[in-house]
Amino acid sequence: MSTPATENIYLPKTAVLERVVCEIADVKTFYWHFEDPTEQAAFKHFRPGQFAQVSVFGVGEFPTSLPPSPSEDETFFTVRRVGSCTSALHGLNPGEKFAIRGPYGNGFPMEQYYGKNLVFVAGGIGLIPLRSCIVYALAHREKFERIQIFHGAKTPKELMYVPKLREWEQTPGVECHLTVDRGDKDWKGNVGVVGSLFQKPGVKVPVENTTAFVCGPPIMFRFVIKDLLGMGFEQRNIVSTLERYMKCGVGKCGHCCIGVAYVCVDGPVFTYEQIKKLGEDI
Amino acid sequence: MPHRLTTCTFCGVGCGIYLETAGNQVIGAYPSVSHPTNAGRICLRGWHGHEVASSPDRLKTPLIKKDGKFQEATWGEAFDLIARRLREIRERHGPHALAFLNSPRCSNEEAYLLQKFARAVIGTNNVHHGTGVYCNNSINVLMEMLGVPAASNSISELAASDVILIDGVDLARRMPTLGGVVLRAKLGGARLIVVGTRRHRLADNADLFLQIKPNTETTLYGAMAKVIVDRGLENLPFIKARCREHETFVSQIHQYPLLDAADACGVTPALIEDAALTFARAKSAAVLYSTSMEERTRDSVRAVVNLVLLTGNLGKRGAGLFALAEQNNLQGVCDMGMLPDRLPGYAPVTDEKARAELEKIWHSSVPAAPGKGARTILANSGSSGVKALWLCRYDPVSASMFEAANCLSQFEFVVAQHLFMTETAQYAHVILPTTAYGEECVSFTNTERRIQLAEQVVEPPEGLTPAWEQISTVAQRMGFAWSHASASDVMDEIREAVPFYSGASHENLAREYGRQWPCTKDRPLGTAYLFASDNGNKPFKFVAVTKPETPTPAPKDFPFTLVCGSSLYYWNQNVLIRHSETLRREYSILLTDYPEGFVEIHPDDAKELQIRDGSKVRLHSETAFAVSTARVTAEVRTGTIFVPYFERELEKRFLGSGRAGAVLVPVRVERETA
Amino acid sequence: MKARILDRTDVLKVVDLLQARGYEVIAPFRGRGRDTYFDTVTSQNRDQIQIHFPNPYYPPKRYVFPHIERLMKFKRNNGNLQIEPACEQPKRAIFGIRSCDIAGIYHLDRFYLGRDFRDVYYENHRKNLFLVNVVCSDCEQDIGQECFCVCTDTGPAARDHFDLQLMDLGDEFMAVAGTPAGEALFADSIFLKGTEAHVAKRRTILDQCRRRFKKDTTSWFSATVRYVTRGEILEKTWEEIGNRCLECGGCTYVCPACTCFTVSDRPIGPNEVERVRVWDACALGGFTRMAGGFNPRRAVHDRRNRRFFRKLAHYFIQRELSMACVGCGRCAAVCHGDIGMPSVVETIRRATAEVDEHEHASH
Repeated sequence: MSTPATENIYLPKTAVLERVVCEIADVKTFYWHFEDPTEQAAFKHFRPGQFAQVSVFGVGEFPTSLPPSPSEDETFFTVRRVGSCTSALHGLNPGEKFAIRGPYGNGFPMEQYYGKNLVFVAGGIGLIPLRSCIVYALAHREKFERIQIFHGAKTPKELMYVPKLREWEQTPGVECHLTVDRGDKDWKGNVGVVGSLFQKPGVKVPVENTTAFVCGPPIMFRFVIKDLLGMGFEQRNIVSTLERYMKCGVGKCGHCCIGVAYVCVDGPVFTYEQIKKLGEDI
Repeated sequence: MPHRLTTCTFCGVGCGIYLETAGNQVIGAYPSVSHPTNAGRICLRGWHGHEVASSPDRLKTPLIKKDGKFQEATWGEAFDLIARRLREIRERHGPHALAFLNSPRCSNEEAYLLQKFARAVIGTNNVHHGTGVYCNNSINVLMEMLGVPAASNSISELAASDVILIDGVDLARRMPTLGGVVLRAKLGGARLIVVGTRRHRLADNADLFLQIKPNTETTLYGAMAKVIVDRGLENLPFIKARCREHETFVSQIHQYPLLDAADACGVTPALIEDAALTFARAKSAAVLYSTSMEERTRDSVRAVVNLVLLTGNLGKRGAGLFALAEQNNLQGVCDMGMLPDRLPGYAPVTDEKARAELEKIWHSSVPAAPGKGARTILANSGSSGVKALWLCRYDPVSASMFEAANCLSQFEFVVAQHLFMTETAQYAHVILPTTAYGEECVSFTNTERRIQLAEQVVEPPEGLTPAWEQISTVAQRMGFAWSHASASDVMDEIREAVPFYSGASHENLAREYGRQWPCTKDRPLGTAYLFASDNGNKPFKFVAVTKPETPTPAPKDFPFTLVCGSSLYYWNQNVLIRHSETLRREYSILLTDYPEGFVEIHPDDAKELQIRDGSKVRLHSETAFAVSTARVTAEVRTGTIFVPYFERELEKRFLGSGRAGAVLVPVRVERETA
Repeated sequence: MKARILDRTDVLKVVDLLQARGYEVIAPFRGRGRDTYFDTVTSQNRDQIQIHFPNPYYPPKRYVFPHIERLMKFKRNNGNLQIEPACEQPKRAIFGIRSCDIAGIYHLDRFYLGRDFRDVYYENHRKNLFLVNVVCSDCEQDIGQECFCVCTDTGPAARDHFDLQLMDLGDEFMAVAGTPAGEALFADSIFLKGTEAHVAKRRTILDQCRRRFKKDTTSWFSATVRYVTRGEILEKTWEEIGNRCLECGGCTYVCPACTCFTVSDRPIGPNEVERVRVWDACALGGFTRMAGGFNPRRAVHDRRNRRFFRKLAHYFIQRELSMACVGCGRCAAVCHGDIGMPSVVETIRRATAEVDEHEHASH
């Protein structure tokens, strides 16, 4: 077995935290760059929908989706604080170092969507993995037909990427619809689940020649899928990204295996048709 | 990469495992196929033992607290300080102001020397193993009725049992290897009867599952005994030959009519009858109950022993009574006399002759007054009169035992021997770091009386000494000529002090897979099951149990019964568990799923009250109120609310502090709507 | 096939030859009772090496995929973060590895090296590993109660994936080279030319061995693969199996073909952390549980079912180009609830037979 030196797929590279932006409670965006510029250049070839493994000193490693589009200049993660690793990342200050490896996963096959309508449906922090795809589509606007964005959150304070949402709302040729489960005194928009936006007067979701992207908590996911199927969407035209407990990111550790698929290498992007065939509940 | 056969030191099963080492590191662990107890199986904790053994954050130097802060000290400074302070406190307050507690994970050698130190050097019987306080009830009842406070038979014999009755304990979680033995016995054709308030893995596999109301075991066993007597299924030849006070017992049995018992226990009369007949008709039936964690009244132990006597299930293979010692050396530390009222070998401290024997070995006088137990010392806001405490590998604070933290902060002087800076060690004045599993050769006694060696497979971190040696050193500094050169020497003294260990030299223990006591000079190979031969002048004793008062029916406003349980999640606070990634993950699943704690409710009850898993609930008793998170699970019985042990605050609010006896609190449950 | 004969008294000289070529040689030894284990050969223990022995419980896979293994060290100083990968590349030979374990290592090769991402740690252990397979020819010693390699087509004599294979013919051993490295050993004078009679004797002994296995499991194994692949097994059957799982992880740890691991960071100094990987098991409740509490496989039978699906479903056999069950029987011996592979195959057979009977009756 004499092969050239194998690259160490588990070895992360050090990165420097540039700045931190609070998005919503417990969710922050971390801007970073690799210490080594050649690493940075190599990493920039990622596809929308891929993910990376982040190591924080003394705590461990976790997978996180890549919200930036390769068309953007900066590299960053948006991370909710849920466990010890993510908490440790939240505790870092600009200038401090951590480590990253990736990008991993299949990502969105963007070229398959050329010439199609794109409908994005995101519940809460489900917007994080879709952000990359949306920004990419807008950067290559001419390649796509209609673009619709539906985003819902529990309260107005929990809407993600608000400055970006405002920008999308103002972008010609993009329909951006927001909703919250419970409004507050300043909220003038829609109140109700994401699916309720589809019924709103003036909203017309295209079904023909359309790909729908759905991301959000399990219960939201189930309801939106039901709505979309009800509208006549085919299973293969509904796309989502799955999250799983994951240790390696490269199809070895076995944790993320669902049915016949490894989320880390066969996913995280799956069509609903594929999800149904995995052979295990998601 | 040498492989050494040793003993797993996690629970009372005492599995034979091999440790593989490379350099001075343990790199692997796996079960022995030939070990009679575990026969090729171990549980998750055994498979991950090697991670714990090589954990890096060990204490490596003695620490002395100065001005509230720990400072590194030399061994000489630490030992001198301990000897001086113990002497001072004894002079000022008398010997009974000092107390010595250890963990039931301590080795026999450590336990023996610690109680000898208390009794012979200090002059007090204030010694206790801290965790399983209820095992005293079991010890006393077994002494009274059978004369031997231990499991009568061997674990491997369960494969030959016709019927196995499990009382209370969730074996699959608590002692998984033993749970597996029972499960395979059942698959091989034995009938499995499970009694208890909680549904668990073995209950799911049982032929008969009697999910009784809390604290109704005594009534259940009384009723089963009555069925057996009424049907004439007693083992009369056995009773005649080997028991006394049978008639008194039978004359009292009318207290337990089947229908009343069924009502009190909350199971059908047919089920009780079926269980009684199944048990009585077995050629050999074994009973397993836990002695350590859950509340165990003396009467409930008596009731079960009566059942075993009535059916003659002692003194034969595959039968017997297994008083389970759940921690790896609970049996051993009791054998060694870490009990405030009993000497090594279980003679009462009040027994003059037994004291005289020990005094001959120890060259020192032994106090006659029973000492204080862990509960007295660590509860009651430190009003026990104890001023100084020695803790050997014992961590009552993180296990939320009693009011340990509060009491510890009030003692004048606390010595802690441990591997890590535990929550308890924080309260110490001197910390003596000591050796870990695999770093010394000592003996442990498992729940089937098997005295086994845990071998040394690696060198301890530089400077660390075994805990027994540290005790011995302090004794020397206090003017006692203790001169044990090795743990094997300590065992040789134990062999003199404890008659049923007299054949258990380390050399003998190392030959096969340990020896089951009695292991005497005449019977060096040990004893697989007790009472094989006629017990002659010491017949077993029936003890009639007065029927417990029927609990007053739950008040209408408070239809649920609040049950506080210790056992179920016990391991997750264990300091060893915390040092393995996999174990920590596995044993904290529930805690991470319900980060603010939880109380458990049955799905049927939850449905009626419109409570969903994870939603907030309000609990009201007549005097108390609390909010918690609901864990909806069919493991609990309908009508009960189970409070796991780490919910100390909640428990205290409803039961009051320093709870004693079986307290069941009627409560009302509501959905928190806010 | 390159084959030679060597005298019974010369068989351990193969160990000496390998040691002379710079290999650390691992070989089987006896512990207490029936216990056996693989350990490093030294001048002290060389003569205690076993040829016929119950296959060690703790599988030799740990020489390519250790129970616990350091992946890298992180060091922090003055705000800098240094990462040092571990890169141990031992030169090892395993003498006396059984045919089933050879198949296990082949499966691991496929899994860790045969796909997009090559596992460098596995490769470092594997690339200088020399495998001396000893055929299970002693029905009493070598073949255990739980062995079923004839069902998985991995034994009692491996057909490939070894460097050298030895088989006991009585007074002599037959040596077969599986690789050029194995064949290179034949230059030594202990290896002699064989005859047709030797080949015939080999065949006779193997036929005897095959007869030693239980028949019923054999015939049902492939049927079970089919049932699992098609998802034809009732939820009830999985529940029955799951109820007997005490979640010890043992089946995974002793399995020569199980690949799952977890990764853990732990301090080794004030500003130093090591990242280790440790064997993990899909039976455990925390295996799939995500931070935040969502667990797609909360029920024990979902997890149990997972293991057998991974091992028997045609999809995975195809993906890995080999089946993740090699018939060694260790999972049967290690299981508290007797749901090792042979007994699960039997349970599924019984349950499916009942359904079939029922359907037959209703037609």
